[in-house]
This record gives sequence, C-alpha cells and structure tokens, in this order.
Amino acid sequence: MKKDHLIAVFMIILSTVLISSAYAATVTGKVAFEGTAPAPESLAMDADPNCQMMHPDGVNMDDVVVNSNGTLKNVFIYVKEGLGNQNFEAPKDPVVFDQKGCQYHPRILGVQVNQPFEIVNSDSTLHNVHALPGKSAQFNVGMPIQGMKIRKTFTTPEVMVKIKCEVHPWMNAYVGVLNHPFFSVSGDDGNFQIKNLPPGQYVLEAWHEKYGAVTQPVTIAAADETKDIAFSFKAS
Amino acid sequence: MWLNRFSRFLAFATFLLIIAGGLVTSTGSGLSVPDWPLSYGQFMPPMIGGIRFEHSHRLIAGSVGIMTLVLMLWLFRAEKRVWLRRLGIVAFGGVVFQAILGGITVIFLLPTFVSVFHACLAQTFFCLIVAIALFTSQLWTDAMPVESEQASQLRRLLLTTTALIYLQLILGAIVRHTAGRGVGLHVLMAFVVFIRIVLSVSSVMKLPGHPLQTPALFWGFLAIIQIFLGLGALAMRIMLGESMRQGTGAVFFATAHQATGALILATGVYLTLLSFRLFKEPASQRGISLKPVKECCVQD
Repeated sequence: MKKDHLIAVFMIILSTVLISSAYAATVTGKVAFEGTAPAPESLAMDADPNCQMMHPDGVNMDDVVVNSNGTLKNVFIYVKEGLGNQNFEAPKDPVVFDQKGCQYHPRILGVQVNQPFEIVNSDSTLHNVHALPGKSAQFNVGMPIQGMKIRKTFTTPEVMVKIKCEVHPWMNAYVGVLNHPFFSVSGDDGNFQIKNLPPGQYVLEAWHEKYGAVTQPVTIAAADETKDIAFSFKAS
Repeated sequence: MWLNRFSRFLAFATFLLIIAGGLVTSTGSGLSVPDWPLSYGQFMPPMIGGIRFEHSHRLIAGSVGIMTLVLMLWLFRAEKRVWLRRLGIVAFGGVVFQAILGGITVIFLLPTFVSVFHACLAQTFFCLIVAIALFTSQLWTDAMPVESEQASQLRRLLLTTTALIYLQLILGAIVRHTAGRGVGLHVLMAFVVFIRIVLSVSSVMKLPGHPLQTPALFWGFLAIIQIFLGLGALAMRIMLGESMRQGTGAVFFATAHQATGALILATGVYLTLLSFRLFKEPASQRGISLKPVKECCVQD
C-alpha cells in the first residue's frame, strides 16, 4: 500500500512538472519610442482642492510616458491570435485598481474575463468610476469614502476598455479584458514579459492609448523557449 | 400684475436652468453624480469636479419645480381663464416629467434617446413658461386686435419659422448627445433658419410703431449672434482633441450656443402668439360679407 501511495505521489509530481514545462515559454521584449518625446504637460487639478493638495509640486499628465532609456511605458502587449479555442480559468485573486493622488494606478492593466476587478479609493476625496466597455455591461459607481472597495467583473473579451472618473475629468485608464493570461504592460524600463506560453504560432499586439496598435508574429517552437521581440512606436 | 411678475421671474429662472443643463453636457458632468435623486446619498455632496455642475443643475431644477407648483396653484386661485389654469397644470406636469427624465438619464448611463428628449423637453417647457408669462401680461389681456391684410401671411411666416427653429433645436440636441452626428444637416438648417428669421423681422418692421417690432429686432440680433456662436462651437470641436473639448473656450461656445438657441425659440413663440393676439384679418378675408343695407320703407 505504501509503495502504491509513493508511486501515485510521484506520478502526480511528474505530471505537474510535465504540464508546467509544457507552458514554460516566455516572450520578453522592449517597446522603443522613436522621435522626440512630447513635452510634459501639467495636469490641472483645480477642479478639486483635495487633489491639488496631494500634489503641491504639481503633476504631469501620464498618457504618454517616455522612459529615460528611450522606451515607452504603459504599452499593453498581449497574445492576439494563436491560442485557438483554449480555455483558461480566470484567477480567483483580484486585479487591484487604485485611485490614489487623484490618478488611476495602474493606468494600463489587464484582467481576465470573470476575474475579480477590485476598485479601491485610497484618496480622502470622492471619486466615481465609469467603465465604458462596448461588449460587457457598463458601470458607473460612486466611491465617496476613503478605503472603500468595490468588485466588478468583465464578462466579454475586449481590448481596451476605457475607465474614467466623472468627477475628475483628467483621470483615465484602460483595461485589456482577455480570456487568457498572456499579457503584459511595459514598465519604467520599457520591458515586458509574457510567461508560460504554450508552443505555437502567435500574433502579439502592442497597444498604446495615443499611438495606436502594432502587431508582430511570434513562433514558440519549444516548451521552454525564451523569445525576445521588440516593438516600436513613433512620435506623432 | 404680481402673477405676471412671478411668471416672468420663473421664465428667467428656467433660462438659468437651461444654461445649467447646458454646462452639464458641455463639461461632460452628466454622470458625475451616479445616484438620483440624492447625490452620493446626500442632499449636498462635496461640490468638486463635475459634481459642481450636475448638482447645481439639480438644485436649480428643484427650485424651478417648486416655483412651477406655486405658479400652478396661483393660476388656479387668481385666474378666471380656464384654459390658462389648465396650462399651469401642464407646466407642472412637464417639470415633474423632466425631473424623472433627468433621473433616468443618470441611472441608465445617458441613453441617447432619453438625453435628447430631456434636452428638447427643457426647451419646450421654457417656451411654455414664456407663453404663460405673456398670457398673464397686460399686453395680452388688454390687447385690441387690429385689422390687417398682412395678418394671415405674417402669422404663417412666424409660425413656420418658429417650427423650423424647434426642428433645428432637436437637431442640435442630437449633435450634442451623439458626439457630432448630424452636424452637417444642423449647419445647413442654421442658414435656412437665419434667412427665415430675417424675412420675419423685415415683415414685422413694415408695421410702423408696432409692439412686435422690438422683440422682432431682438430676435434678429440673437440670430446673428447664434451664427457666430455656432461657428465657434464647430471650430472648437474640429480643432481640439478630445481631451480639450471640455476646456473653457469649448464649454463657453457650446453652452452659449445652446442657451441662445433657447432664447431664439422662446422669442419666436412670443412673436407668433402675439401675432395671433394683436392682429385680425379684415372682415372681407374672414368671409363676412358686408351687404348694403336695404332701403326700406322710405316714404315718398
């Protein structure tokens, strides 16, 4: 009996390793920015003195952020084609979307269909959150109390869903709603990483709220391959 | 007299309400208060951001609603003309319905049809209050209609021009609430309406010293201003990116254009009503034949 138990445990471990290694490919890369970065524009927050007080030195608009290394931040990269009809269960852990300093954090993010989308108000002023999906149900909720949290879900894939605050017109964010977990957002160094991709032929898309979208084919030949690709956006 | 003064004050307050509503749309504040009839569960929320415009609009609307109720009750108490008392009921019903429409637009996240209907009903209600103010005025009650051969033609001209203005306002509401749909037709109609107003004004000016002349000149003046405001609103829309369309300049032109449109419509209604009150067709045109008196019983 003991031996049978040991064999069963070994088989479970082996199959877990095998399954994991079947989805161990990684796509990494950078999003470059060509041309002159737009001059930073100051955000006028005078519509709410509470917001102004949170930024005594002022704050710049964050719709276009060109990093010091010439890369572009806040580009949403995702697998657009190639996954076929595979199902990926939505995580139970929520994606957290915060209102802090009268700005959305993060500004660009991804969430899976039916994954909890937790909206938090970390500010001492009131906000409201108006999501404008074209394919799921819209919502517009008031969040007047600091610390309050609301959970929503998006039921249909859509790239991208705009979210705005109807009280503070400068607050905007975009959410990529996907039925799979293969997406990333370029960071302060312009890098992105998509992990655990199965072997196959894919089309990846990089989306920026001002500069539009570009695609690139990627082939993952081996289960543990690491592929490095680059996207580039030009100043308009 | 006091009833008339109150009606005129209510007309002025309604015009302010139309401006307040225009500001809500122009600043994109329509959904800044997600609940109704309270605002964030309160009578008085923090007046920040878009809430300043939306909640101010609700406060003014509430005041206009109460004043309309007072007007209705006052008409019942003081007015002998039954049709005018009924008009007071219609006005109160209108403002209540308008409030409900406002709630529906918020709760159902600005459905286009409801938003357009809410905008058009606002204009209609304003004209109704202006009409009640006219009906309670001495100009109306003491009027002695004067025969004029141009009466019928003038009335037709004023009535059809006012109807065209109303149509133009509906188009304007569609443009405002559908991110610019139908703007080409609205611009084309603007010139048609302008020409009609000019023709109407010149017809009225042929009646020397008539009480219609001053409001007619005002109407013409408004029409000229409106053309420039409309061009300004259009230029702002074309020139500015989406993020700038709620800047001060764009908000000013869009709101001023909308409010001036309301004044133009109300002035048209005023002139049209007066043209029916102050004129009558000559007896011959009214189908009354003036037969010679028979010589009767003349004794030689």
